Amino acid sequence: MPDYPSLPVVSDALIGGLLSAAVAWLLLATLWRMIQWALTPSPLPIVLAPAPRTRAGVLGRLLLELFVFRSLARASMITWLASLAFHYGLLLVLVVHLRFLIVPLPLWLLLFVRVSTWAASFLVLGLAVLLIRRVLIDRLRYISTPSDYLHLLLLLGIALSGAGLKYLWPVDLFATSQFLRGALSFNWQPLPDNAGLWLHLALVILLLLIFPVSKLLHGFGILFSPTFNQRDPNR
Amino acid sequence: MNARQPTTSLPPVVGAYRVIPLIQEGASASVHSAVAGAEIQESLGLPGALVENWHDKAIERLGQLVKQRRGLRVFLDTCTRCGACTDKCHYFLGTHDPKNMPVARQDLMRSVYRRYFTVVGRYLPWLVGARDLDESMLDDWYTYFHQCSECRRCTVYCPKGIDTSEVTMAGREILASIGLGQQYSQEIISKVRRVGNNLGMKPRALADVLENLEEDILDETGVAVRLPLDDEGADMLVVTPSADFFAEPHVDGLIGYAKVLHQAGIRWTFSSTAAEAANFALFSGHHGHLRELAMRIRLAAMDLSVSRITIGECGHAWRVAYSFLDTLVGPLDFLQPGHTRAEHICEVTHQLWCSGVITLDPQRNAGKVVSFHDSCNVARGASMGDRPDGQFTIPRALLAASVPRVVEMSADTTRQKTFCCGGGGGVLTDEMMEVRIKGALPRAQALQAVVRSDQVTHLATICAICKTQLSTVLPQHDLAGVQVTSLHHLVGDALLLS
Ligand code: SF4
Ligand code: SF4
Repeated sequence: MPDYPSLPVVSDALIGGLLSAAVAWLLLATLWRMIQWALTPSPLPIVLAPAPRTRAGVLGRLLLELFVFRSLARASMITWLASLAFHYGLLLVLVVHLRFLIVPLPLWLLLFVRVSTWAASFLVLGLAVLLIRRVLIDRLRYISTPSDYLHLLLLLGIALSGAGLKYLWPVDLFATSQFLRGALSFNWQPLPDNAGLWLHLALVILLLLIFPVSKLLHGFGILFSPTFNQRDPNR
Repeated sequence: MNARQPTTSLPPVVGAYRVIPLIQEGASASVHSAVAGAEIQESLGLPGALVENWHDKAIERLGQLVKQRRGLRVFLDTCTRCGACTDKCHYFLGTHDPKNMPVARQDLMRSVYRRYFTVVGRYLPWLVGARDLDESMLDDWYTYFHQCSECRRCTVYCPKGIDTSEVTMAGREILASIGLGQQYSQEIISKVRRVGNNLGMKPRALADVLENLEEDILDETGVAVRLPLDDEGADMLVVTPSADFFAEPHVDGLIGYAKVLHQAGIRWTFSSTAAEAANFALFSGHHGHLRELAMRIRLAAMDLSVSRITIGECGHAWRVAYSFLDTLVGPLDFLQPGHTRAEHICEVTHQLWCSGVITLDPQRNAGKVVSFHDSCNVARGASMGDRPDGQFTIPRALLAASVPRVVEMSADTTRQKTFCCGGGGGVLTDEMMEVRIKGALPRAQALQAVVRSDQVTHLATICAICKTQLSTVLPQHDLAGVQVTSLHHLVGDALLLS
């Protein structure tokens, strides 16, 4: 009689496997989208003038758009601040998540862990402002589709369930780390028994799945935007 | 789609100063640009009326365009509906119609693109706002893609760099390919191809016009300033919008160019085969026509074996000449080294003034208080001179040298952030008058502010469309007292001529 693995072992591997697959999908599909953009010809130079005349200038322009959201700053101060708070809050929170991957905890990461409450607050606050203005301003309501609200709600759900794990339903850090490292190295480990964690993870997997096929890819789009990434046509 | 009668007797539209309006659905839905007649469409190799299988043809063409134009594809893919652009379009600010918000205009195409070309849009259309291309959508395409002046002001504010004009142009191209071309642009394109200029003016008529102008200048100044046509052996070919040949206030600008070039001792000429700088194929979005019309300039320059090409005061012509000419017709390497691209008349005049070849005396324009209107295509689609922002500094330097007092309008309505005059991109046609008047609102408000604070008397600009549009619609905004003028009119009047 063959020795079947017991059900819990299968489900452990399943969840870890799901996360591995979602991460692989995220990377490959994002890459695929970018290849598609890169392979589409650009028949006429349509850079937005005044345009940089040097390659360094173009790089500077792209960096400003990517990291400072320069054009958005011109458009609307509130949206700009909310976006900065959200994106940088998220970035910091992601860095803090490295504590699950890098063992033992390096000293520099400890600094980030120290500010994680601030980071999470910025993240949630930014998202909340973005959501509120989408609901309140008639112009935004008009252009918004269900997915626009759902993206924000999904991110809020992830942020709030994550905060819950930190403050309300403490999670076994070591076991979580085992699970995560396992998923990323195809050596799947069980997910600690914590409903909050299951919820957090399910939402994250959903996010990873939709990221490459939704507007969430816009950061990479900026790199391919001909109005940003071209030089003055006569240089 | 019935064309509206010109509505020249509308009451003045003077909204509260720069207040973002509440949306008013369908506010400008009834303003349609006239559809091109069968004869014109067919002369351009396009179907004369809406084709039977328009739906499939349109989707097919859209599919081709997103594969051929990276900009279009990236723009359709990356909008987050952040709303940053929603209050930046003059047509939205003037009409309050939400479909004139740049993102909503793009969404007319994006929702169709999603429906037919993305997995989510195909199976869960309600989730991402994907929509079928049905008759009402087709109607919206025609209406609102012709209520965009392709001015790219929205791009300045979009954090993804999304250029609505690329969507508009693609939309118009698709519409024309299924039989719904726009009368105004298509007719002009067809005239340029047949006769050589937008007005359909024959070479003989053009020569007469130029002769008369020579006499006028002689009478007025006592100096024999020439306006040569097809002069072989000239060094410089001047290509200017045909409005410069006959219409006010354009023609005074033309006289200005002639005076400057005369004073500098440059031997120059117009060409009867390239007597038109404008290239309305930029508006219709048809790259084939764009290239064809641009090619006339190259051919004329080679025929006349000139060593320089100069473009007169025309906004979109300057964008085509500065940004696209090399790509469209090949490098202009037969021109004189140092002048191997088309040059703007302002660049030429500025060089002559800087090097002391010509002298300008602002006192000759005594009493004039002048503001400068940056034209979209010059401001956001091209440059001039040695500095990346030369398109702003060079005309201003000339203006400051030519008039006693220059007053700038509010900084969020000038330079890169300039507001369209309301008539660009193929909107400058009678049946669009309501939208033209309303679209000029933000510019008019900024102008009103400086008229009140500094008693501005003149508004100078370097675009034929801006000149026609502003002189037509400013009176509707209680600004009949401000004279719209060509920059080179002021330069020509300030010039010491001998
Ligand atoms: S600013 Fe750009 S990204 Fe934002 S809604 Fe407008 S087009 Fe979309
Ligand atoms: S290109 Fe100009 S006219 Fe067209 S949507 Fe943008 S701001 Fe409006």
